[in-house]
This record gives sequence, C-alpha cells and structure tokens, in this order.
Amino acid sequence: MVTSAYWRTRLHRYRLVGNRCAVCGKAFFPPRLVCSYCGSTKLEECKLPERGRLVEYTVVYSAPKGYDVVVPYVVGIVELENGVRVVAQITDVDVNEVKEGMEVELTIRKLPEQLEGGMICYTYKFRPVIG
Amino acid sequence: MRDVAVISVGYTRVSEHWEKSLKGLFVEASLKALESAGLSARSLDGVYVANALSGYIQGQTNLANVLADSLGLYDKFAISIDAGGASGALAIHEAYMDVAHGIRDLVLVCGVEKMSEASPQDVVSALTSAQDQEQFKYTGITVHSLAALIYKAYLKRYKARQEDVALMSVVDHEHALTCSHAQYPFKLSVEAIMDSAFLAEPVRVLEAPSPGDGAAAIIMCPHEMAKELGLPHVRVAASEVARDRINPMEREDLLAMRALVEASRRAYEKAKVKPSDLSFAELYDDYSVMGVIALERLGLCDPGGGVELLKRGEVTLKGSVPVNTFGGLKARGAPLGAVGVYQAVEAFLQLTNNAGQNQVKGARVGLTHTSCGFNSVVVINLFEVCC
Repeated sequence: MVTSAYWRTRLHRYRLVGNRCAVCGKAFFPPRLVCSYCGSTKLEECKLPERGRLVEYTVVYSAPKGYDVVVPYVVGIVELENGVRVVAQITDVDVNEVKEGMEVELTIRKLPEQLEGGMICYTYKFRPVIG
Repeated sequence: MRDVAVISVGYTRVSEHWEKSLKGLFVEASLKALESAGLSARSLDGVYVANALSGYIQGQTNLANVLADSLGLYDKFAISIDAGGASGALAIHEAYMDVAHGIRDLVLVCGVEKMSEASPQDVVSALTSAQDQEQFKYTGITVHSLAALIYKAYLKRYKARQEDVALMSVVDHEHALTCSHAQYPFKLSVEAIMDSAFLAEPVRVLEAPSPGDGAAAIIMCPHEMAKELGLPHVRVAASEVARDRINPMEREDLLAMRALVEASRRAYEKAKVKPSDLSFAELYDDYSVMGVIALERLGLCDPGGGVELLKRGEVTLKGSVPVNTFGGLKARGAPLGAVGVYQAVEAFLQLTNNAGQNQVKGARVGLTHTSCGFNSVVVINLFEVCC
C-alpha cells in the first residue's frame, strides 16, 4: 500500500468515521462524496456507533495474498446501532462459534500487509461483546 | 437507427494456454473470425477490445492500441472496454451502438483474458479489485465472501437447499461434455460439489469457475451489408445496459438485482419478445446461486422458482428454457473480460444452426446476460434469426 493512501483513510480505518447527508439524512460508511440516495453534495462527517449486531456472516477459506495464512476467518455484515451496515472481518471468535444476531463492537487490528519501510498498518474489525 | 448483424465468429478453447500470450490469443480468435467471413483485417473500420485484468495480471495497459497493432491495423479506430466480467458484452453494446447509428460499418469485437499467469491468491485479489478498493482493499473481504452472503440470503428467503442450487453447475458440466471450446468438458455430480472445499461458506470450489485463458471474437456490420456479403448472420435485436450499487451489501434487498430486472425489461421491450419467447439464455453464473437468481430475475420463472426449474430439468438442452448451452461460466470457462463475447459466439452458433450436438432445435431468439460485481453492471444482448 502507498503511505499517502493509507494516511488518507486513517479516520475511517481507525475511528469508524463515515458521513451523513445533510439533505436526506442517510449515513454512509465509508464516507461518500455524493449522496447516493438524493444526489446532494452536502455531506457531514459523522462518527458511527461502535456497537452493532452481526446480521449475516461467512467463513473465508480462499483468500488474497497476506490473508491466505490466516484462513479460515470470518467476514460479516454488521448493522450498527444507527442502522448503518458495515462489511468487515469479525475477529476474536472461533469459526464454529460465530452466530447470527451476535452483539459485536469495534476493535482496531493489525493488517497482514505493511507499508514500505515496514510501517505497520491497522484497520477496523468487529469482535463479540463479552458478557 | 440501422439494423445490426453479427456475420462471423472466431474463438479459442478456454484453457490454461501456457504456450500462448494475451496477444497470441487475441490474434488467433480475431483472424479466425475474419477468415470465416472471408475478410481481411484492413477492411475493418474499428476494433473493440474487451478485457478486465491485463493491467493487473500482465501489467499491460493501453491494450486496444497494443492489440490492434498486433493485427497490423493502422489508421483505424481501436478502444478497450473494461467493466470487469461485463466487459465483453459491454464492448458488443458499444460496437452495436456505433454500427446502428452509422458511425462505423464493419467492426470487430474481441474479448480476451489470460488469468493463468497469476497465482491463485492473486486471482482472488484481481477479481476483488473490481470492487471499490478504497473500501475493500486491506480488509480481507473477497468476492467469494460477498457471493457467500448473497447465497445465504437466497437459501434463507426461499428455504432452498444448497444441493438444489448447485444443480446449476451440474447442468453447465453436462452441456460442456460435447463442447469443443469448453475448459472442463466432464460430468460433475452434486455429491462431488458438496464434497469440495469452501471458497467462503457456503460457496464451494466446484460452484464457481476456475481461472482460464481465452479469446472470442465477433464481426458486426449493418444488416444490409450482411445481406450483400451473402454470409449467414444473426440480428442483434436489443442491447441494453443498467447499473446498480457496486457494493451488493449496500443494496436495500440483496436479492432484488434491479439492474438485471431493468436491463432485461428494456431489452424485451425493444425486441418485442417475452421471456417465454426465448429459445435459450446464456447466464452469467459466476457462482451457481447467481445463475439461479438470474433465471428468476430475467422472468424465466418467479423469484424462488429457479431451483424448481433446475430440478425438473427445464434448463437442459431438451428442456423448455435451455441455459448455458455450451457450459456457461462454470464449465465452458470464464476468462473474465471475454465471457460476454463467448456468450455471443454461442448465441451465433445456436441461431445459425451450427451448434452441433449442443444445438437447441429450432432456436429463434437467444439472450445473453453478462454482469460484473453481482449484477452491478448488467448487459442484456438479444440475438435473433433473420427472417
């Protein structure tokens, strides 16, 4: 990955920052430049809730380079508390114990890839809420 | 607008062509199409190249320029079309529009892809690169995992069994048995599919195509010119394109496939045909479940009814709605950007009564459904026998 591209996406990668259309109210993650519902360009940055529910999931066995060493892993659709849906990896869960409807929360995890010069990269994942 | 005809086809077998380059495959298919029409490359007014992955796999950009050069085509128009898996059909759409509107007369459309030069991991990355990379790169989300989420939604909504959905791949392999250009001309059982490994649960390896190399070409011209040339030809009855959200997970309904519904509705309207008039359909079944959903959203049956059609054998060559008459993506093979042109070639073979053992008796009108990104771009091309 190129350093500037990684830096540019730091807010949504690290803090789950999306945006919301000031005209129709739809929220987006990752942030959009034009509202895909009403066409407005008035979009305001908004921090998304860090908790949600796992709506659906799959277990990945055939993966791209870097991820092939960590299979099997879980990918799912998380519906956040405000209704926004995020597709992400679900971590800290055994592939046999993952369940639909599970309460999950945001966590930041290291990526298999590194930037040039060995800089370590992170991204958002979700993990089950304990207790 | 002028009526547009397809007058000739040329193609290679889909395979892992270790001995042939991207250029070699392109030249082979293009020359075959030209030779069978008795035309020289110099007589062409333009070339439309369809390819999705050369920039990623071969590091070759500016493809149409490079490939037109390899045919010795100077002074003429050449353009590359990249829309992932929909590239081939979209190139045909563009050529059709240009000929129909009198911009060009005699044109060649060639879809070419060479996937065997990438490692299996790189193929997953390459296929996934058709999704928005700002969103998906470095997340571990793959196209297979998106397919899996759609598959689970389908099984749940229609209370379907995977063993039945997987029949789509079984039918593909049955039709490929007698197809000389098929990558995998052998029988496949549901048991073998269900025993194969997962790509992403529940999608099995044997429900999706493997990487393949191949090129397919067609020559198009105004219908009047086709008659003057005295060549067997088929008419392009409609060519329609529609779009949907590129990330299927952002759609209100994972299974609605609005671009597929919209493009096919417009194509039927333009060609004045109904789904029940189709002699056959070539579906973009990049996963078994996507073929089943296509059956339904094209109006060949009700939503959820695709599995019944498969179980009753209605989609086989002798059934009421034959689909994937030469093996579809699973068994003919799926050299990504070339798929739409292979489908058009197959429609041409059917409608000119040259389909050999795969002939659908009395075929009059055929549909090709080509898409990328889980029907985020859908091209519906309709071909018919000229009266």
